[in-house]
Amino acid sequence: MKKRIIFLIFVIGGVFGLVASLGVYYGLELTSDERFCVVCHEMDPMVIAYNDDVHSGKGKTGVRARCVDCHLPHDNIINYIYAKARNGVVEGYIHFFEDVENINWHENRARRKDFVFDDGCLHCHTNVFDNALLTDKAKKMHAHYKKLLNTKDEIGCASCHVEVGHMGLNNMLNYWDPKYPIYEDKAYEKKEELRRNYFKDSYVPSVKKSSKKDTNSSDENSSK
Amino acid sequence: MANMSRRDMLKMSMIGAGTLALSSVNANAKEAKDVKFDEEWDVVVVGSGFAGLSAGVTAAKKGNKVLIIEKMGRVGGNSVINGGVFGVWGNDFQEKEGIKDSKELYIKDILKAGGGLNHPELVETLADRVRDAYQLTKDCGAKYIMLKLHGGHSVPRGALAESDSGAGIIRPMSKFFQDIDGCELRRKCKLDHIITDESGKVIGVEVRDEYQFDKDAQNDDKENTSGTTKFIKAKKGVVLASGGFSRDKHFRKAQDPRIADDLDSTNHPGATAGVLLEALKVGAEPVQVSWIQSLPLSSPDEKGYGVSSAFTHESFRFGIIVSPKTGKRYGNELANRKIQADYEFKSKNEDGVYLLSMCDSKAAAEMLPEKLEKVQKVGIVKKFDSLEDIAKEYNMPLDEFKKTVANYNQYVKDEKDPEFGKNLSKDITKGYDFSVAPFYVSRVIPKVHHTMGGVNITPKAEVISADTNKPIPGLYAAGEITGGVHGAVRLGSMAIADCLTFGMIAGENF
Amino acid sequence: MKTDKLILIFMSCMLIFTFSISNDNNTTQVEITKEMEQKYPIKAHHSQIGLSCFDCHENQGNDPFKFKNIGDKGCISCHGDKKRVAKRLQYMDMLKANPHNSVHDGPTLYCDECHYEHKKSTNMCLECHEHEVPRWMGVTP
Repeated sequence: MKKRIIFLIFVIGGVFGLVASLGVYYGLELTSDERFCVVCHEMDPMVIAYNDDVHSGKGKTGVRARCVDCHLPHDNIINYIYAKARNGVVEGYIHFFEDVENINWHENRARRKDFVFDDGCLHCHTNVFDNALLTDKAKKMHAHYKKLLNTKDEIGCASCHVEVGHMGLNNMLNYWDPKYPIYEDKAYEKKEELRRNYFKDSYVPSVKKSSKKDTNSSDENSSK
Repeated sequence: MANMSRRDMLKMSMIGAGTLALSSVNANAKEAKDVKFDEEWDVVVVGSGFAGLSAGVTAAKKGNKVLIIEKMGRVGGNSVINGGVFGVWGNDFQEKEGIKDSKELYIKDILKAGGGLNHPELVETLADRVRDAYQLTKDCGAKYIMLKLHGGHSVPRGALAESDSGAGIIRPMSKFFQDIDGCELRRKCKLDHIITDESGKVIGVEVRDEYQFDKDAQNDDKENTSGTTKFIKAKKGVVLASGGFSRDKHFRKAQDPRIADDLDSTNHPGATAGVLLEALKVGAEPVQVSWIQSLPLSSPDEKGYGVSSAFTHESFRFGIIVSPKTGKRYGNELANRKIQADYEFKSKNEDGVYLLSMCDSKAAAEMLPEKLEKVQKVGIVKKFDSLEDIAKEYNMPLDEFKKTVANYNQYVKDEKDPEFGKNLSKDITKGYDFSVAPFYVSRVIPKVHHTMGGVNITPKAEVISADTNKPIPGLYAAGEITGGVHGAVRLGSMAIADCLTFGMIAGENF
Repeated sequence: MKTDKLILIFMSCMLIFTFSISNDNNTTQVEITKEMEQKYPIKAHHSQIGLSCFDCHENQGNDPFKFKNIGDKGCISCHGDKKRVAKRLQYMDMLKANPHNSVHDGPTLYCDECHYEHKKSTNMCLECHEHEVPRWMGVTP
């Protein structure tokens, strides 16, 4: 009798566990690419740049890296799930409650090293330290990277590969949030053109922000 | 002594030769006996602007191996920052707009501005061949977008190059040249000496590769020691196309003591007299070196060439130039550059005020909208809603100013300017007077712009020797380094014409 | 026979010795002194990724005071080609203000026309576009 119960517990537990892990697996899987992330995460310029990058699968090999492959830690599953859940909450909060029109993309991008997890990069790019086809400079710099690992001067992949995964990101960010006000009008046009091409049927025009600074004043000049 | 380099040796020997043999102009020239050439080309062209590229392309098209050397890091010198208006009679835009022009009228305009100092055979040659040069640029891929009128021309005949700049001509031409097999455009390579053989024939050049121009030097030609010396043989000849010396503080003042060191110039920093001086050392005959033009279309409110001319070309044509001191017009707004520069200087020096160049919104509409916006944004052109506002801003006597405007508007109606003789025919003014607000106003001041003088050349672009009064074998020159084409005053849009045409002619010799 | 072996051992030792010396020459780097750092400071974005004199001045010996300008080739070995650096500022093309792809020069200028590593960079555009440049772009890095 006892044995039966134990057996039953095992079976039920197993099935339950399987279902749960399948759920978790598909849950994680379905929530790992840009189509999910973009729902809450303010990242139009990043997604549009990503879609023009080889990492979106548009390259010869068709290999595609999803958001989570680079932007979540892969050292262990607990960390992974925790970071993911935490991001979800934070981004959701920002999306619903914060001033998303005035995110300082440029400042955030300067901290790109914090958003990119090298173990993700290295998971696919396994031969960066011994690929004979790399240029001498690349070999030298990758060795430099290795040398600095676990020191106070540690650098990340994105320290040098400044637009990796999102080719043209600097341009995109300047279409969304021009660093210099003189570009504002043209940047808005360009932004809307890019959004129209990307969102197609679901495109909704965005509100044009009023100029941050007065471009007509000659203050800059008279102050010299 | 044993450690002396070849350069030092040469310098020493030059000083020695100079003192010993003052009578012989050739004494300073580098002679071939002691030279071992590092490279050999058919033709070496010095300078990569309009004249240099035109010569290079033409010579290369005839199958020559051509090397163009350029001392600066960037291609095109002044040409690539120039305003891109090419004065050519009988061009396609004139045809389209039904403007009658002719070789004779072209020559007449040039001679009139030149004040009798032009070498007539050079002007004749220019007029004969300028259309071929226009075609040459098109063959290289240059495109032109509209017709412009510059002061001193009887009719609009300036073809404006794409991108509103000489770059619209230089970029396609330099690409065209560099795509030709066996030719090279070498930047950061400076001419140090012209090399002649015993007979005085030019057979090569001594240059410095990897030359690093020093913007901060008082006199780069004299102070700069960068680069490594090389001797380059030019089998068929050397073409000097190195431009003028508007940025050479010492040399320009030596020619015209009125040009203060701090007077700004529209030119790029490398516009110095170095190559001209080397040409003189091999006996080239100088002409009219003291005729130095200042550009009256410039603004005191920005540095260098700037963007002001985009506005002032139109405001000179359709508007008036007024002194804020008196509220009166100051002169003929379409007079040649010398006359205008002289009266702008006069106002500044004697009355202590910058003259104001202004036009109304009808005239402003003739400018590309983005240009008009740009000159305002950078703060060199201001917009006003009424004459009162203008007078207030510049402390101008309002009544006098109003009278000036009323008079001018009457002159436009009459197509005649009894005060200063400005050409107010309908062709020029399109009937625009100074009446429709908003008005646009810019302060104006001349900046050193073009050096009319240089070495004397034949109509085949051969450099004439002061010794023999005959061409120096193997030496050719074109563009701003030469003198005689423009005489006292170069008309706007005629630099491109001169440089491209004589560059082409120089290239045809090989 | 014995002497042969001895010679062999001796030769091997010599060989190892020579290698260790040459290895030393390759890897031992001259200590960068304060004086050098003051005389030849490097850009923040280069020092942030831990670069030192020898990363740019490759194969130029061990005496930093004798180093030469690395030229475009040196810069480009990390920064890709000139078209690529022009593309990074493509948004500036909207106003034809991209300094790496200007109306006048296209992507052809030498890097050190404006950018210097050991002193303040300049901006060549300022020669003519004094008032426009501060609106078009930031201070030259």
